[in-house]
Amino acid sequence: MSSTRGLIARDLRVAVESKEILKGIDLTVEPGRVHALMGPNGSGKSTLAFTLAGHPGYEVLSGSASLDGEELLELAPDKRAKAGLFLSFQYPAAIPGVTVANFLRTARQSVRPGDLTPAKFRKLVFDKLDTLDMDPAFLGRYVNDGFSGGEKKRLEMLQMAIIAPKYAILDETDSGLDVDALQSVGKSVNALRASEEGRDIGFLVITHYPRILRHIEADVVHIMIDGRIVKTGGPELAEEIEREGYDAVRDASTSSAQAEAAAARA
Amino acid sequence: MPSGISETLEALPFAPSSETLERAIALLARNPQAGGAVDAALRREALALYASLPAPGMRPARGWKHDYDKLRYDDLVWTSDRRTVETAPFGAPAAHADPEADRPALETANAAGIVHLGATLLEPEDGAPTDPRVVVLPLSDALRAHGELVASAAHAAVDWRADKFAALATAFQNCGAFVYVPDGVQLDAPVQLVFASTEAQDEAVFPHVVVVLGKNARATVLERHVGQGDAFVCGIVEARLGDGAQLDYAVVQQASEAARLFFARGARCGRDARMGWHLAELGGTLARTVLGAQLGEPGARAETSALFFNTGMQHVDLTSGADHIVGPTTSDTVVRSAATDRGQGRYVGNIVIRPKAHGSDASLRDDALILGARAHVDSIPALEIAANDVRAFHGATVGSLDEDALFYAGSRGIARPQALRLITLGFFEPVVARFPSEALRDEVRTALDHKIDDATEIDG
Repeated sequence: MSSTRGLIARDLRVAVESKEILKGIDLTVEPGRVHALMGPNGSGKSTLAFTLAGHPGYEVLSGSASLDGEELLELAPDKRAKAGLFLSFQYPAAIPGVTVANFLRTARQSVRPGDLTPAKFRKLVFDKLDTLDMDPAFLGRYVNDGFSGGEKKRLEMLQMAIIAPKYAILDETDSGLDVDALQSVGKSVNALRASEEGRDIGFLVITHYPRILRHIEADVVHIMIDGRIVKTGGPELAEEIEREGYDAVRDASTSSAQAEAAAARA
Repeated sequence: MPSGISETLEALPFAPSSETLERAIALLARNPQAGGAVDAALRREALALYASLPAPGMRPARGWKHDYDKLRYDDLVWTSDRRTVETAPFGAPAAHADPEADRPALETANAAGIVHLGATLLEPEDGAPTDPRVVVLPLSDALRAHGELVASAAHAAVDWRADKFAALATAFQNCGAFVYVPDGVQLDAPVQLVFASTEAQDEAVFPHVVVVLGKNARATVLERHVGQGDAFVCGIVEARLGDGAQLDYAVVQQASEAARLFFARGARCGRDARMGWHLAELGGTLARTVLGAQLGEPGARAETSALFFNTGMQHVDLTSGADHIVGPTTSDTVVRSAATDRGQGRYVGNIVIRPKAHGSDASLRDDALILGARAHVDSIPALEIAANDVRAFHGATVGSLDEDALFYAGSRGIARPQALRLITLGFFEPVVARFPSEALRDEVRTALDHKIDDATEIDG
């Protein structure tokens, strides 16, 4: 099975409301590695995240997605989470009347039934709160109800730490965050990666701006434009984007696409 | 049946007719120890009013199955009695408890309590638990022992002459309770009033509950409805709060699924008094409830929290009212309702701020959750504001489950049925959280959880 380890998309084509957004994505996130997926607004980054997590509004036209060999696309969202996938939402939904404590307990129980005694679970929660510099009063609040943008992202990070998935997709976790909140997000990801249960987590960090990559070091950087991954490289690719913007890559990819088309015509 | 109880006194076939009323009046005259607490002339006046008053509410929504003008009273009996039982049967008497139902334990710490099985008062041989600082008596006994106190509060907080079913309750009153908490007394444990029914005899039960709190007194009263069979329960609850008094009156209605319940509950608040109504309508096939608060002294405050969750064929018709007679007075009303299957609900929220109620503050928040395609809930806030410099807020929503929240929970490994349960229970939480004790809040949460199990159609 080692050959199929990873969070893998193959030729994934996806439409939203009959409009094709993803036009053939090939991507492999290996355990323990951090992949950054960068691209301008509207390039399809979040569509990829939602498709992998199983949002019902996204129609898979062709291709496949798997997690350590388990086909994802036929699974309901909760089954994908149980398989080991975690999505940190750009805009997490509020669940009024449900406390963070109750939600965390229910989530952990769902993904890893009965693996912790209530006392051990409690200790885990308080340890993670401590790591994330979060006030325990958080636990008594209703999930994302009236939370600030920073609080929502911290709660996403807390859930990720408590669930300890096999693969985590961070969808624009940096958007709308101030420097302190961004640092806290970076710290929580790095703390998780340094932990026993977190060291094999494969990350897909989706972002528009390179700045989060100063806090979370990427092993591989992909550039997505118009529903395709047009370039893949090392961390230096993020720096290139920071210096020159997406237009340089876009132009290069357009001209290379034109060259391909010209070659095909020839 | 609980052991050690006497033979039934007498039971009349019930109908809302003069003939039945005369027989009832005669029965009560022969049995002064029974539960009668309304004199004959008033009963006759009340029956005449019942016949002439229009049915309450407005034209029902499509799907509403009950016509208030065509209620059937077949096979119901009317009686009024008292019996001695061996032990205090708090909650449903064991013989009538449903062994299948996983009912939460009733609160055991009671300041005092009164239990009725139908319209029969059940008196434990060893006496009900009693806090010596308070008076808790059947209303008929209280009239004899504390006539002036009862008279000071009865027929005052509910305008029975204006409400068809309150008039019916007055005409046929056959049981009741009186609770008096003197000046300055603060009770820690609740006073429990239990109305149980049995399959053995379907009764028409007409309770009258009167609660009087002295100055700065503080108490919680818990009214429960439990049991089986096709009971018809039509009652009046009245509370009078002295200056600075605080009353939390909670109703947990878990009557049988065939039961019909009509209640008019009202409170009159003294200066700086706080009235808390907490209502959970969970059982019955039809429950019509009117909750009211008269804010006639400065500083008075009414907090009304109500929820219902209609499954199967359940209908709930709830009206709440806060009457700001003077200022500054405040009212805060929160209502949450859900319906599925063929459940039907109607909520009318009345806020009246009269010309002299300057500086008053009224808030009315009402949200309904529709969980099934055939279910329906109407939400009708009505604000009537005749004073200046007041604050009045109202907001109402009727919606379905939030798919974003369901997906979000799903992405955390929480399967759809469980996510739906979590979100639905959370929806009720703003009301549950206002119930007066943690034991009671947990009991209501558990009961709501069971309602989700009862529902046959819950995911559209």
